[in-house]
Amino acid sequence: MPTPEQVRINKTTDRLTIHAPGDGSCLARIRAIMADLARQVGFPDHEITMIQMAVDEACANVVEHAYAPDKQWRWQHRQPEICMHIRTEHGRLVVEINDHGQRFDFTSYRPTDVAANLDEMKNGGYGVPIMRRFMDEVQYSSNNQTGNTLRLVKYLKKE
Amino acid sequence: MKPFHISNESRGPIELVRLGGGLDMHSFPQLESHLKSLFEQGHHRLVLDCRELEYIGSAGLGALIGFAKDARERRGDLKLLNVPPHIYRIIELLGFTKVLQVHHEEAKALASFQPN
Repeated sequence: MPTPEQVRINKTTDRLTIHAPGDGSCLARIRAIMADLARQVGFPDHEITMIQMAVDEACANVVEHAYAPDKQWRWQHRQPEICMHIRTEHGRLVVEINDHGQRFDFTSYRPTDVAANLDEMKNGGYGVPIMRRFMDEVQYSSNNQTGNTLRLVKYLKKE
Repeated sequence: MKPFHISNESRGPIELVRLGGGLDMHSFPQLESHLKSLFEQGHHRLVLDCRELEYIGSAGLGALIGFAKDARERRGDLKLLNVPPHIYRIIELLGFTKVLQVHHEEAKALASFQPN
């Protein structure tokens, strides 16, 4: 597991900001932070796992696609980094995951579905369907100034 | 969370593969190389004991699908054993339990393979 210095965390009263290397080495630590936070907010155990998985898939996509070594990414003078802003507001958890890598082309993206039998199943491509299944809102935006931002929202359901 | 770890031991014609820790896009190459090595040695009947598995992401799930397909093409199979409840709930929600057999007892998992 990476040393704590590789993941920088800034905490204010209403927001948590995480800076992590964009190479995937800190995914386990990010999952642990997300689980702690979701637990504090009051999400039940099964939804904590869903939030962990959705955020993990989002970060994995940044590592695998946005910062893929075979692609040019826009701000090559910078170290590849994942920056996360997390806040709770109005009974919901909002996670924004930002990178400055290759833009994700949603227009050409075709989600992979889980098929009814093994022969028809693909060996990958389940990340975005997992995010959409496990979070209440998934929004992607990209521009040259702020980079790419994926916004994941999960509502805390009242018992 | 513990780092991903993998080991295997023979149960007659079947390999029991023990998985533990977090299986994500960073660690799944370890799973791939271990299972590839077993395939190259002619082991196509695999039971993956997930008792110590703490997390699995889509990269790991995709790898399991790929190896299960390869195993069945070679008249073998890949089955899961002792999947922790929090992981079972996720893979069930996603539909993976429709295509991968999941067992709760080692003896039943081993007995579920067709005889040669």
